[in-house]
Amino acid sequence: MKNLIKEFTKGIIKENPTFVLALGLCPTLAVSVSVANAIGMGIAATFVLLGSSLIISLVRDFIPDKIRIPCYIVIIATFVTITELCMKAYSPALDRSLGIYVPLIVVNCIVLGRAEAFACKNNLARSFFDGLGMGVGFTLALILISAIREFLGSGQILGHTLVKGFEPIFVFGMPSGALLVIGLLLGLFNVLKGKKI
Amino acid sequence: MKEMARYGLILAFICVVAAGLLATVNTLTGPKIIAAAQSEEQAALKEVMPLAVKFTAVKPPAAEEILYYKAFDAQGKLIGFVFKASGKGYSSVIETLAGIFPDGKISAIKVISLNETPGLGMRVTEDKFTAQFNRQSSLDLSGVQAITGATISSRAVMNSVMKKAHEIKELIKNDPFDFAQGHAERTEGKSKHDK
Repeated sequence: MKNLIKEFTKGIIKENPTFVLALGLCPTLAVSVSVANAIGMGIAATFVLLGSSLIISLVRDFIPDKIRIPCYIVIIATFVTITELCMKAYSPALDRSLGIYVPLIVVNCIVLGRAEAFACKNNLARSFFDGLGMGVGFTLALILISAIREFLGSGQILGHTLVKGFEPIFVFGMPSGALLVIGLLLGLFNVLKGKKI
Repeated sequence: MKEMARYGLILAFICVVAAGLLATVNTLTGPKIIAAAQSEEQAALKEVMPLAVKFTAVKPPAAEEILYYKAFDAQGKLIGFVFKASGKGYSSVIETLAGIFPDGKISAIKVISLNETPGLGMRVTEDKFTAQFNRQSSLDLSGVQAITGATISSRAVMNSVMKKAHEIKELIKNDPFDFAQGHAERTEGKSKHDK
């Protein structure tokens, strides 16, 4: 049980997919304009990660090594399409604001990365917690980046104005601002990690 | 050779399972997606024509594209038209939904699709800009103030609405049933026929 908790928590800080593994940065740059987008994207990616990690771990003995990548991609793509259809049906507004980045979860390296690095070698329970931890880590990273960007770029968080009279800095709403924020946070993570070791 | 056939079979099996799963989900969500799109469309139409309770799409015979919508009030009286205008902004095509009364005055507009610069062009969606259109003549929007730093995006909205309004005016003129008499039953009958 202690091991399982470790599998879960490692995705949040020690092996955070965005800040430590630096995987899936493209959707991170694109959707982190607002906190609402970040939460939606995080939940969608977590669902896909969980589903694909579970299935891949379940069928890992059945899939021959040579054709594992196409098999993983079919499984991941299936989960992404299910997510997209559900989002269109139950939350069309979110679907519109996330746009092309939902179908692009298919090529998000976090998902295939975890399948290849973890789920295909570990049992069901461990893969479940690994997927969940990575998903939560990705979601938290997205929320952190988007909160900074939304506040600096538009003076608001989740549509609420926090500080009256704050003049927004437009560059943070644009991709260049995303690169700045992510770069600084990556640096901060490295400093924090260096201290621990 | 035998190995290859086995790989093919395994991959095919996974694909068949995935296809079955997707077909199920698609059947389950399909009607909901259509319903969501429709209610979204109705909500947007209502926003630019709040007095109307019913909208009917006007399409040219044997075409998919909707030219404009007719708006009817609770008594079934034609009270206006709603149309979608699109124009090239700074970095995207900006689509605007506009509701006009029969005299050509604008009821309200709503920018429904755009991808402009955040903090500048994106502000054309704000009430401060769009509310200026209310009660203006759709054929002449020179009284609308463009947003500072977002002249191109603002102009795109104004010009596309004006251009489309002129087009719609011509269309309505050519259709004696629809506009000159404003006869609710007959117009409705006709638009059904059009479908």
